[in-house]
Amino acid sequence: MKSKDIQVLINGQEFKAKEGELVIDIARRNGIFIPALCYEESLKPYGACRMCIVEIKNEGVKKKITTSCTLQAFDGLSIETDSEEVLKHRKVLLELYLAQAPNSSKLKELALRYGVNRTRFRQKIRDDDPLNNSCVLCGLCVRVCSEVMSAGVINFIGRGEKTRVNTPYFEQSELCLGCRACAEVCPTGAIEFRDDGDIRIAASWSNTKVELKKCSMCGKYYAPVKLDKKIDTLYYYKDRDDELRDMCPDCRRKAIARKMTLIAENEVEKYAK
Amino acid sequence: MNKEHVENIIRRYENPEGKILGILEDIQETYKYLPKESLEFVSKKLGMPLSKLYSIATFYSFFNLKPVGEHIITVCMGTACHVRGAKDILNNLIELLKIGVNETTEDGKFFLTTEDKHFSLNTARCFGCCSMAPVIRVDDKIFGYVTIKDLPKILKAYGWKSK
Ligand code: SF4
Ligand code: FES
Ligand code: FES
Repeated sequence: MKSKDIQVLINGQEFKAKEGELVIDIARRNGIFIPALCYEESLKPYGACRMCIVEIKNEGVKKKITTSCTLQAFDGLSIETDSEEVLKHRKVLLELYLAQAPNSSKLKELALRYGVNRTRFRQKIRDDDPLNNSCVLCGLCVRVCSEVMSAGVINFIGRGEKTRVNTPYFEQSELCLGCRACAEVCPTGAIEFRDDGDIRIAASWSNTKVELKKCSMCGKYYAPVKLDKKIDTLYYYKDRDDELRDMCPDCRRKAIARKMTLIAENEVEKYAK
Repeated sequence: MNKEHVENIIRRYENPEGKILGILEDIQETYKYLPKESLEFVSKKLGMPLSKLYSIATFYSFFNLKPVGEHIITVCMGTACHVRGAKDILNNLIELLKIGVNETTEDGKFFLTTEDKHFSLNTARCFGCCSMAPVIRVDDKIFGYVTIKDLPKILKAYGWKSK
């Protein structure tokens, strides 16, 4: 079904959109900043962190403050991203998150953007936190690991104040692909990976270790072996050049370029004759 | 853990993925706790990541992840019991049973077991009988209006010998 073209108002400015699109997407596409901790385009809307709240200006709408990452656009929708009401709530939220993850510089930066440079709440600091006292429990890493990578290495453990994310039994995982997708999506930069020779260490995930693959050309370790295998089973295409198969992206690019030039030169020669 | 037994438990459920709580409950009923191998086995059988099962098992205070004593004592730490001295009851029990203080398991749960595995002690939030606060539960029996003086008597009924 093709969705209808509509118009929405964001901060008084008109924008074209499709009916049912998420407001946060429309705003971002048009360069309007809305802070978000638990939103990631590749995942289903979740609406957990409340950071992305906006105020609906339309008459007759009961719920005025709502999360833009779950709000579906309709024709004539009018919202404000930084109204007084929104800012009031967002600042309190930021203070709460600063208490939960006092060590995250990304979070501090975001808070500063809203003039929040301290928190009135008790800061949660644990000496041996593998997430470096930076996790806001947004759940993005958990979801990307299971929903996108189908690995399911990590999940929430416990509940309430003691909730945290890690591997089951806090043991090294055999399922981890070493893909780093979790670290990529983490909004607070809490997750730590480290490469050491032919081993990648997921320091935050109970020091899980994965083996890295060596480039057949330059000898650099460039990707986890397991991830490489997984990609092969998912997207194996027969004519994938076997020579290129075991090269790092850099060498692969060079090799392809070399081939193309050779072909081109041959062509030129042919014409010259 | 007996594989066949756990397999039978899983078989009891028509749509096992949606009945995970039931399965874990049945396993716990047999073993009184959730052995690690049983979670690993269920994970394999249902194709559900172990991380998910561990998450569920640690979320509900009902589940035990460590072997438990013969009798389980649960002290209610709900609001009503708290204001009527649940903390003192708990501390007293810890003293009487001579088990470590402030010990929590890595999953964040408070759960202590005596050396002879006769008693386990844990806490919970509100049993729903606040009018009898403070309340403790031993196995499935509820004791209301508990005072510190009552504790030895209650424990003795369950085979406790003061040393
Ligand atoms: S580690 Fe990062 S992505 Fe994972 S829950 Fe914590 S803040 Fe979110
Ligand atoms: S980004 Fe919308 S609630 Fe988290
Ligand atoms: S608070 Fe203890 S029973 Fe309700």
